[in-house]
Amino acid sequence: MSTGIYVHVPFCPTRCGYCDFNAYAGLDGLKPRYVTALLREVELAAPGWDDQDVVSVFLGGGTPTTLDAADLKALLAHLGDRFAVAPGAEVTVEANPDTVDEAKLAALRDAGYGRLSMGAQSFDRTVLSSLERIHDPDSVHRAFAAARAAGYENVNLDLIYGADGEGLDSWERTLLETVALQPEHVSAYALTIEPATPLGRKVASGAVPAPDPDLQADMFATACAVLCDAGYGHYEVSNWAKPGYECRHNLGYWERRPYLGLGAGAHSYRQDRRWWNVRPPEEYLRRVGSGELPVGGQERLEPADAYLEEVFLRLRILEGIPASWVEPGRAEPFLESGLLELDHDALVPTERGMLLLNELVLALAG
Amino acid sequence: MTETSRIRNFCIVAHIDHGKSTLADRLLELTHAVADRDMRAQYLDKMDLERERGITIKAQAVRLAHDGYELNLIDTPGHVDFTYEVSRSLAACEGAILLVDAAQGIEAQTLANYHLARDAGLAIVPALNKIDLPAADPDEVARELGVLLGRDPSEVLRISAKTGEGVPELLRAVIERVPHPGGDASKPLQALIFDSAFDAYRGVITYVRVHEGVLPSRARIRMMATKVETEAEETGVMSPEATPISQLGPGEVGYLVTGLKDVHQAKVGDTITLAGKHGAKEPLHGYREPKPMVWSGLFPAEGGDYSDLRDALDKLKLSDSALHYEPETSQALGFGFRCGFLGLLHMDIVKERLEREFDLELIATAPNVEFRIARGEEVTVVHNPAEMPTPGTYDRVEEPVVFATVVTPSDYLGAVLDLCQSRRGEQVDMSYMSPERAEVHYVLPLTEIVFDFFDQLKSRTRGYASLDYEPWGYQTADLVRVDVLLHGEPVDAFSSVVHRDKAYAYGRQMVERLKTLIPRQLFDVAIQATIGSRIVARETVKAKRKDVLAKCYGGDITRKRKLLEEQKRGKARLRRVGRVDVPQEAFIAALRVDEGASKGKK
Repeated sequence: MSTGIYVHVPFCPTRCGYCDFNAYAGLDGLKPRYVTALLREVELAAPGWDDQDVVSVFLGGGTPTTLDAADLKALLAHLGDRFAVAPGAEVTVEANPDTVDEAKLAALRDAGYGRLSMGAQSFDRTVLSSLERIHDPDSVHRAFAAARAAGYENVNLDLIYGADGEGLDSWERTLLETVALQPEHVSAYALTIEPATPLGRKVASGAVPAPDPDLQADMFATACAVLCDAGYGHYEVSNWAKPGYECRHNLGYWERRPYLGLGAGAHSYRQDRRWWNVRPPEEYLRRVGSGELPVGGQERLEPADAYLEEVFLRLRILEGIPASWVEPGRAEPFLESGLLELDHDALVPTERGMLLLNELVLALAG
Repeated sequence: MTETSRIRNFCIVAHIDHGKSTLADRLLELTHAVADRDMRAQYLDKMDLERERGITIKAQAVRLAHDGYELNLIDTPGHVDFTYEVSRSLAACEGAILLVDAAQGIEAQTLANYHLARDAGLAIVPALNKIDLPAADPDEVARELGVLLGRDPSEVLRISAKTGEGVPELLRAVIERVPHPGGDASKPLQALIFDSAFDAYRGVITYVRVHEGVLPSRARIRMMATKVETEAEETGVMSPEATPISQLGPGEVGYLVTGLKDVHQAKVGDTITLAGKHGAKEPLHGYREPKPMVWSGLFPAEGGDYSDLRDALDKLKLSDSALHYEPETSQALGFGFRCGFLGLLHMDIVKERLEREFDLELIATAPNVEFRIARGEEVTVVHNPAEMPTPGTYDRVEEPVVFATVVTPSDYLGAVLDLCQSRRGEQVDMSYMSPERAEVHYVLPLTEIVFDFFDQLKSRTRGYASLDYEPWGYQTADLVRVDVLLHGEPVDAFSSVVHRDKAYAYGRQMVERLKTLIPRQLFDVAIQATIGSRIVARETVKAKRKDVLAKCYGGDITRKRKLLEEQKRGKARLRRVGRVDVPQEAFIAALRVDEGASKGKK
């Protein structure tokens, strides 16, 4: 069975106002112990996964590149020792433009990190500062050039649209600058306001306007048009790739293949069980340090849960669901209104349908 | 039996918060009716609900002994909704203490109840309360009272119900100035029911005033209006706890445990006599069926609670003879009841009791009055906007009007007149009680009062004006039904009957309010207000275009699935009108009459 491994690195130089990931600024002092703990967790977790072919490894965060290249190299090597990492496995590391230079990127590539996912977010200075990102557009250009110089041939750029102050024109310029760089992969996410973040509180208090969903819908349409024109295939709601460069690791989540998560707050899935590690880095260190798996919670998927997941994930990756799964009469209104279309015998969301995916999921599987 | 010459039957007439209950407490103490250690504030206001709202709903009669006299204090309801109940309580008395707050002065309710008491032929004992307050102006208020009563201001007593100052003198004045009752013990029994209550253990208990004859403790009696006969179980007096006695003689006041199980068999205003040949031939005059003035649909927020609501109303009706209800089916709100109330306060009390005592969550449609539709000679009565026929199919519509009394500081007189004028009022007269205070009488459509009049009056006069009103018959009016359509489907719960001149503004207000309350759907939703087939206002809720989780990576699929499940539960709570999903809160918010008005005035 092909499996993915996710490793979470919860450290960041600063915390961005919109981010609700398990990430922390100011905990840099924990880094050495954290690396040790990751190596230890690999030991603890590996038994029982030896029948799995690891086809992808993904280092996410946080900002994994805040760790030294040597540590990242040791980590990957250790994974290779303890798991059956397939030759040619997709190994991704996330990076922020300001935390990498050509030397570091070359070292990472030498260590085996063959795919780079960079948090560009925008090429508009106003938008970047509205998102409280520390980098500026120039550093994206610099970091991208460094990646190419270091030999990276599989690079993703992450973009966010709909921040306060961003108009359709600005978003289109960001997209055009992005495709001009010719990355192999582009992720474009509509800014989502999470209540438990500094930005969420500003929106709740009225200090910052909530994103306009209609404008975000227009921005989505613009992304579809610009990226398709530039030769990118739309293969998931928020993801586009040059042919053959779809992210295998993320596809594993969406195709409900097993994955093992390592690090604070990382999620795992196998068969009918989902579980997740404790979130606070200190608690993670304590648990691993005392020689136990740092599991913070778990759930068993009932058939109804699994079905709901299957439907919403299949719709997300445009694979669609067999029309025979759906009660007669439920899909027809959406076929008529152009939110769904029939591809052979599968119900697949159209571009408009992708934006209303929650509605589709609840109508078809609810 | 007490000699009628030693009996005094009296009540206290006062505006809300002018100190009626506190005075009653002092009278209980002064006459040693309650032992000191048992005394508590507002002793007579027994029901929780009453004490919280500061008003007395159920009249009670308390017998006090003082200087060899039997003094019956009859407590009257103090709110405009209960005018008829007030009039029956007054009919059990020969005198009334007119109690006025020496700081607040005469209020509309004081006036309205004073006029009722005077019309009932009662001797009036005027008294100023709260003379201990720094803000009190007893000389000025005594002067106002003197003008109102046509008497010398020196006849106005001055008391503090709080400290007890002047209360003995007041009691003396009651004995001296209130005439004793008449009545002949040898005549056939005529006893007036001036209140009734339901006790879970003893059934229906009536409060009665014997006018002629004798009411023995155990006898077969007959209610003359309802023609119900029953074996009376017990007569007694409240002093202030229930104390059985062998009989009630002419002029006396007490309670009667009827042996009945339903308050509708022993109605306020009815006459009790003995069954059989010793019974009276004629009842006392003045009986009237309690008549609902205000109607509203009550629907359970959860559709499955319908039978609970029905059971709760059945139980409530046992103790509330004024409550009317009949099943109603709304396309939008499902199964519920159309309920008739004496007024807005009565409506609030019933709704609150249903929610609190029976743990129900309710949606109430906007209150409306009853309309009479005339087609030639034929007149139909409708009390639900949905039953209002389309224009052109009838000759005329009549609406109930009230005779309204407003008392206001002179500074706000202009604002009061503007308000009454804008609510289609006809001024009857206007006078100054003093240079600072004016009294205005208007005939006003009840539907205007039901629609936030009181809130507007309070806000335009900074809370200083007071209002009282009584039913004043019907008038022909140019009324139309305004319907609200969602995506072409009329929503019956939003229909309202309004004057033609205001139909456009009403329709616009509803449409604009709903625009903010109806969530975006997968298609454009037109919200229209119509009169017949004519559209008077329209707004559109644009189709929603985006409803998708942006990010789905990092492996936390559980959270995404839970978000979807939560959204699914949210959808299950929506009510479907045609193709449009409408949240519960939208109904509640849209049907709240004061919302738009209170926004407008700030």
